[in-house]
Amino acid sequence: MNKTAAVRAVIEATSAEPIIFTTGYSSRIAKHLANRPNHFYMTGSMGLAASIGTGIALSSGRRVVVVDGDGALAMNPGCLITAGAFVHLPLFHLVLDDGQYESTGGQEVPSRRVNFTGLAEAAGYSDVWHVDDLNKFRELLHSELPGCATPTFVHCELTERDEPGPPPRIEADLSQHQLGFSGHLASCRDRPTTPRQPIDDSAT
Amino acid sequence: MAVLDCASTLSEALLEHDFAPFFGTPCGILAPLYGRLEAAANLWTVSREDNAVGVAAGAAMAGKSPVVLMQNSGLGQSVNAIASLIVPYQIPMLLVVSMRGAPPDFTTENIVMGRLTEPILTQAGIPTAHLDEENLAAQVGWAHGLVVERRQPAALLVPPALFGWRA
Repeated sequence: MNKTAAVRAVIEATSAEPIIFTTGYSSRIAKHLANRPNHFYMTGSMGLAASIGTGIALSSGRRVVVVDGDGALAMNPGCLITAGAFVHLPLFHLVLDDGQYESTGGQEVPSRRVNFTGLAEAAGYSDVWHVDDLNKFRELLHSELPGCATPTFVHCELTERDEPGPPPRIEADLSQHQLGFSGHLASCRDRPTTPRQPIDDSAT
Repeated sequence: MAVLDCASTLSEALLEHDFAPFFGTPCGILAPLYGRLEAAANLWTVSREDNAVGVAAGAAMAGKSPVVLMQNSGLGQSVNAIASLIVPYQIPMLLVVSMRGAPPDFTTENIVMGRLTEPILTQAGIPTAHLDEENLAAQVGWAHGLVVERRQPAALLVPPALFGWRA
């Protein structure tokens, strides 16, 4: 499984759920594969994808998918504490781990000795998973994502490299992108079939 | 105005002007305000200021008008979140930033950030006002116009002694 295959699997397993893609190639790959209104491309603020997802899930009660990276998580592991504090947060937090800062030239992430699933569990995530196989990843998305109602963490170990030549940078007007994504969230909110209520709990 | 009244007045003004939810981070100057907000609204404590800005960004995109409360030392932690997320994506939120390193706080470790706080915000393009105890409700009204109505970020700076903090 390489990064493109993992991102494709996430897009195929989702429809209207908001997805926050972290900075770097994950956003670029996602936009290139399918530029849907439920996608938020976080082009800067490395490490904050899960915090943005936490805010959406907390305020809307909607299930939110975060496509994070190992480098971003190593930069801001505090995002796990932020999300893990909310027992009933429907956050599906994926970390695509290629062991390198790919978009900045492939430097090694100093995380070889880090147990990411252990970190997430210790921070309060109720379900943690590790996968390194595309079919198992698809099965996991199929079985766990639809019912996700608590902070869930999936460590996806990428075993293969992508084809050389990443998709182009995201050149969109970022404020327009934000308005489009916020509009998507509002249209979901206004839909009468939306089953969930905003979360009103805290660390306890 | 008595100092505890300032915390009550500000808390009530924020709630009356449709601000919510509130994301707090550790700060002694803001503690009396936290007490008021906790009693009246959803106040969630976040362990680091840039994460609080990120969570508030999500809340804002979900239609809320969130407030992040932080000490200016935490503004230092949040500069990249403000510069690469809040401003370029024009995400509406109110930053309530307490001013360590401003009179009567002359603690050496806070002086530099005290000097940097307003330039950082104004250079980032975030409309910023210093809270004045005689004018609290009107200043929250000003922030409401920017954040809630025009859907853009704004900041209110809190002088150290506003809620009774002493060096």
